[in-house]
Amino acid sequence: MEQRAAPEVPRIPIELAIIGCGAVVEGLYRRALERLEARGLARVVALVDPSAERTSALRRHFRSARAFATPREAFAAMGPSLAIITSPPALHAEHAIAAFAAGSNVLCEKPMAVHRDDAARMVAAARDARRILAVGMTRRMYPCLVEARGLVARSALGDDLRFVFREGHVFDWPVSTDAAFRRATAGGGVLVDLGSHVLDLIAALFGPPEVKRYADDGQTAGVEANALIDIATPLATGVVQLSWNQPLVGGLHVTGSAGELILEPARLDAIAYRPRDGTWETIPCKATWPRDLAPMGARATPRTHQDCIYYQLVQILRAIAHGEPVPVTGEQGLEIVSAIDACYQQATSLRIPWLTDAEQAAADARHWKVRRCAAA
Amino acid sequence: MRGRVAILGAGGFVGARLLERAVLEGDHDVIPVARALRSVGRNAHLGVSYRLGDASRPESLARAIEGCDVVVDLTKGDAATILRTTQSVQAAASAVGARLVIHLSSAVVYGTVDVPDLPDDAPPLADHRSLYARQKSLAESFLRERMTDRRLAIVVLRPSLIWGPGSPYVFGTASDLLRGSAYLVGGGAGICNLMHVDNLVQSIRAVIARPNVASGFYHVSDDGITTWRDFYLAIASGIGVDASTIHTIPDGEYRAGIRDRLQDFQSSGAYRWLKDRVPLETREAIKRRLRRGPADGLTLVGGRAARPAVTRELWELQRTRYGLPTEHFRSTFGHQNPVTFESGMAGSLAWLRFIGAVRGDASATALASASG
Repeated sequence: MEQRAAPEVPRIPIELAIIGCGAVVEGLYRRALERLEARGLARVVALVDPSAERTSALRRHFRSARAFATPREAFAAMGPSLAIITSPPALHAEHAIAAFAAGSNVLCEKPMAVHRDDAARMVAAARDARRILAVGMTRRMYPCLVEARGLVARSALGDDLRFVFREGHVFDWPVSTDAAFRRATAGGGVLVDLGSHVLDLIAALFGPPEVKRYADDGQTAGVEANALIDIATPLATGVVQLSWNQPLVGGLHVTGSAGELILEPARLDAIAYRPRDGTWETIPCKATWPRDLAPMGARATPRTHQDCIYYQLVQILRAIAHGEPVPVTGEQGLEIVSAIDACYQQATSLRIPWLTDAEQAAADARHWKVRRCAAA
Repeated sequence: MRGRVAILGAGGFVGARLLERAVLEGDHDVIPVARALRSVGRNAHLGVSYRLGDASRPESLARAIEGCDVVVDLTKGDAATILRTTQSVQAAASAVGARLVIHLSSAVVYGTVDVPDLPDDAPPLADHRSLYARQKSLAESFLRERMTDRRLAIVVLRPSLIWGPGSPYVFGTASDLLRGSAYLVGGGAGICNLMHVDNLVQSIRAVIARPNVASGFYHVSDDGITTWRDFYLAIASGIGVDASTIHTIPDGEYRAGIRDRLQDFQSSGAYRWLKDRVPLETREAIKRRLRRGPADGLTLVGGRAARPAVTRELWELQRTRYGLPTEHFRSTFGHQNPVTFESGMAGSLAWLRFIGAVRGDASATALASASG
């Protein structure tokens, strides 16, 4: 295959390829990419998806882009500086490695990979190709996370930090295939989906997570809709609870010897903080990020998740153009995939407290790990 | 269960529980039908196969329920489409030769129940204020006409407030109690016509299990009489909220507020016109933003007493004077409710602890009880 190498110092607008044109692009990336094009910062040159219907739909928004059925065809014809990998997670490694071989940098949507080995291969391929591998963990751009990191760094919470992080709601993402609901294609359910974000947020605050105990409710060939993880990190220990079918309340609650904080992921603009024996106060969060590629250019505060996708993309373009750091590196992404892998290694059946004893026993017997062990 | 049973609306609250019960009991004849793949996420843990079909389009639905003996219609969807969906389900079930359709209606078709011993086949009100109730009434009227067709039996179940783990009523009440905005009209003496989700599921299964079932309308309800005060106090006690924070609203004339005007607008043609023209992603973003309000962690932190946000719907429900008689259903189907108020409340409180909707720093307790 003849492949063009991306230029070391890319022209602006920076040329992008989108690998996988499903719901993630339509629902999350499209408007941010249109904003980048409108500001002359980037240009989508290739849309890759086996579905011509999906590439045609996106071409209505990116008229100068060419459509391809496979990454191989796209990389043979184009030399994009950045490939945004939004294909099904099981294909991320294959597509990212193809992009590195063609000289592209890569932004890989979460989850970075289904298996740890795949994620490790991606990191190695990026290193060998001397290209950037960034992982799409948009919450790193949240002003509330920046503020919370500041509190932790200033020891405002003291020591002996403990946390409970609950996040969940009834699944309502407009998926275009059922790949996300089958263990064979998705690798897992809510842990892979929401858990990637939550574990990365924990890592951003307290350092790499180590899984102590894990339970979920996945049965037979299905994927978990509820998961519970005991975690230790260099700075804190705690519990993460995730759900695709329950309206979990609370967000992240951290307590320490000197104070406590609550971070609600749906609230980008504020956190709640209480010093020990004090009263709760709401702290406005106004962290800023660069709006464009000018070295000393304007900065702004993201107000929505969509804004954060834009600022994350800008930061990755700045990494390509100026060598600045990306929000989440491949190595950091690998730590999260490793943690998820560790969860599944030690998975047990989750006790659902409102099921009858007979129902719980049936759920335990149908647990995917039990079935897998029995099959082995 | 007898024959293959299609569950329409398996991604909803009742449908998900019906499906879960069937799966955990090893019933392989249940076929969940979803309109969109997003609805599958709620039951992704069960590892069951779905069929896709749009319940509002007979040809699409007929393909999805092909080979099914029974169709359980638990679809919710847009209130404006309830009648159309009901017509579609009936047409599709007839087309595939099903023997039985179970249609979930609601006691809301009677407005406030203000007479004792309301007959099961009493005609619904036609001029209800809410679009949902009007459409439910129209759907019942449509099915009443179709009940003369002896080839397809139609059983209409009419529960009132469906509660239990996962219930929006339980969650909404707990949220209001935690925020300090919960209220009781006239001290909460009105009848809370509850139907625990497991009792409803058992009722549906009783209908399916009965051979040669005849068409008809049936009130279904929990056993015993529960007042709104009983319901609120039990939840308040279980989640650590002082009952004295519950506001009392005089049982007098109702004055419409902004939420009622919003509901009226949502029932209007102008709203539906606008809704059809706003992109899905924008609608979803608005919905997420609106949903965020009541359960917002930051608002829960302070525990400040909030003003009660009285709505006409809840105000009317709390003034209900009578329970619905369920003898007709029980005698016809030999049904007994497996869940009492006490056991149902215990499960509901366990669920509230699981999701973290409890006063104070009970997170660790909730998680400890949830871990295996």
